[in-house]
Amino acid sequence: MTNVFPVVLLGFLSVLSSQSLATAGTLRWGGDASGGAPYLLLDPKNPEKIIGFEVEIAEAIARELGLQAQFYQNQWDKLIPGLKRKNYDIVINGIEITEERKAEVEFSKPYFYTYEQLTVKKNTDTIHEWADLAGKRVGSLKDSFAERMLKEHPGKVHVAGYEEQTTIYADLGYDRLDAVLLDQPIALYYGSLDPNLKNLDTHFGHVSYGICVRKGDFELLRQINDALTKLLASGELRAIYERWGLWNEELATRFHDPAPSHLIPSELNAYRESFQHHSDFQSRVEHYKTYVPLLAKGAIVTLQLSSVAMFFAVLLGLLLALVRLYAPRAIAACAFGFVELVRGTPLLIQLFLIYYGLPNVGIKLDPFTAAIIGLALNYGAYESEIYRAGILAIPHSQLETALALGLNRWQALFHIIIPQAIRIVVPPMTNDFISLLKDSSLVSVITLVELTRVYGQLAAASYDYFGVGILTAILYFVMGVPFVRLSRWIERRFSFESYLPRTIR
Amino acid sequence: MPHTLTPHIDVRNLDKTYKNKSVLKKVCLDFFEGELTAVIGRSGCGKSTLLKCLNGLERIDSGSIRVGNVFLDRNADQKHEERTSALRRNFGMVFQGFNLFPHLTILENLIKAPMVVKKLRRSEASAIAIPLLEKVGLLSHIDYYPSQLSGGQQQRAAIARALAMAPKVMLYDEPTSALDPWLSDEVFAVMRQIAAERMTQIVVTHELRFVREFADKVIFIEDGEVVEIGSPTELFEAPQDERTRRFLKR
Repeated sequence: MTNVFPVVLLGFLSVLSSQSLATAGTLRWGGDASGGAPYLLLDPKNPEKIIGFEVEIAEAIARELGLQAQFYQNQWDKLIPGLKRKNYDIVINGIEITEERKAEVEFSKPYFYTYEQLTVKKNTDTIHEWADLAGKRVGSLKDSFAERMLKEHPGKVHVAGYEEQTTIYADLGYDRLDAVLLDQPIALYYGSLDPNLKNLDTHFGHVSYGICVRKGDFELLRQINDALTKLLASGELRAIYERWGLWNEELATRFHDPAPSHLIPSELNAYRESFQHHSDFQSRVEHYKTYVPLLAKGAIVTLQLSSVAMFFAVLLGLLLALVRLYAPRAIAACAFGFVELVRGTPLLIQLFLIYYGLPNVGIKLDPFTAAIIGLALNYGAYESEIYRAGILAIPHSQLETALALGLNRWQALFHIIIPQAIRIVVPPMTNDFISLLKDSSLVSVITLVELTRVYGQLAAASYDYFGVGILTAILYFVMGVPFVRLSRWIERRFSFESYLPRTIR
Repeated sequence: MPHTLTPHIDVRNLDKTYKNKSVLKKVCLDFFEGELTAVIGRSGCGKSTLLKCLNGLERIDSGSIRVGNVFLDRNADQKHEERTSALRRNFGMVFQGFNLFPHLTILENLIKAPMVVKKLRRSEASAIAIPLLEKVGLLSHIDYYPSQLSGGQQQRAAIARALAMAPKVMLYDEPTSALDPWLSDEVFAVMRQIAAERMTQIVVTHELRFVREFADKVIFIEDGEVVEIGSPTELFEAPQDERTRRFLKR
């Protein structure tokens, strides 16, 4: 049924494969595995593989074209920038066909039709119709068709845009929202998991999903449309929808296929069942164990990113600090300008510019390199200020004495000033490293699958933000501990109190 | 006192200004090899600045300094930096605040500069440093850190550190101002020992008792001007200038 992509989910390997391994034999498709059921999700039974009706469609199309489907992870709202950047060649991930998007990409003919569905609390009897939403708090996904419908509602609807669909239904359960409006497949999978929620039967709007192809890539577009036509004719597409419990009246009308469903919605049932197993504590713990390998892989990516980035940040910071302290005024001013610019702008935007902006001027970096550059530039700027303060804290007389002994400025700096400054800068540096460890989660915007991204994917698949969240938090904490210890050791090693004769110590 | 006819160091018309305030005015001085010269005067008279100009820690505004065959004037040509460091190689300097490197042991304080500047191996540098530490009476404190030593011990270590670079001239900038009389005597004892080895020494100090007993020559400076030069006997017993008399009376 579903293929296994354990390797692709490894962020750092997907880096290697991001462009170079794309050969003529593969269909490179992009999607977001934290988007969740039923589109594209980590299999709750085996989190190392991805499942979803769109995974099956991607594979069916690839088979029609005589290719091997290869999945590329990217954040949902960055799927189109990633396509333009040629990280992958098509996007299949519930992208609604809209006029704005048509200006950006080519759309295949629709492969799925659906509608928006309202979900409310079981005991709610004030919301039945579209008009009833006036004055209510309604949640939806950011940038989705449903959100736009809500914003155009004539009555005053308080629209809340979310990043993750699972959190929307959780908020409805906590009474932070009065209703949720989302595409019917999402409502079917998540709106019905919580026994306190109910999906209203009323349909709103018309939604059609299309496969995105880069502008001008007409040959690929034609092949994909042909493949869709064949899959529709053979009944394979319908079979996928029926097994996922997604065959609806809208599809029946649009695809001129009025026959009733005859397949058991096995995938929908399997998904629902996967939750009933883990109601008691022990089976829950057992289940968390299956998440550990994936979380560990994410943690390794996080650790690699943070360590490499910190290494370069320290070098850059030292260079900037020395330039600001000792270089001719004009060069020192440049360093000052750089530090201010980097510190004064958000890391998220810097990463986005480096990864998606630089290709416009011909510089195309792989995600790992882009992430390292972004993080190192940012933290280098912060480090430089720490080092500058550390060096300035050493009395001028130490420099003067070193010069009087015949050392030149550089020798004085490296043999006398910096060794004394280390003791001062280690605690704030440790602070920064731990902060970097956590800030590295921002790089998921440039397709890297690190710990926080894995968390998002597992949470979406299992609808368990709390348990997976605690697991993830523990991992971050544990990763930070060795650095805190190292820092304490360095501090002790370099503190003046410890300058005791070795024989006494 | 017998000495060679050509001075070891000569200073001609040296001017130094800090932010429009003239600190040294047309200073002309000769220092002879093997002599211990004391520079006295009120605080802020320019004594310390004179020492810093001698070894290039302060730039001079006009005039010249010659040490042996190294000549330095204000002409800031490309070789200026080079000549400043050539000048500096002649001098060892001892500061009022000792300025030992707090992150290094006493031995490491002594061998750092020989290793970094002269590229000596640790063993070679130690072979120079250990007899010096013995000379200043700190052989038993070789592995101590500066913070564990008394002020007198620290200043003696600082003297040994300066000597480890084998300078021709020792400069002392108020070496005992931070010490009580007993600890001061430890330091003076070391300086007398160095004097006995006929090394040229220049001491800026307020300890007139020491100056009177051990200096070969005394220079009195006031407001950046050299007022009077003479032997201790001449200067203390029969000062020529009214300003010198006033200073000594206090």
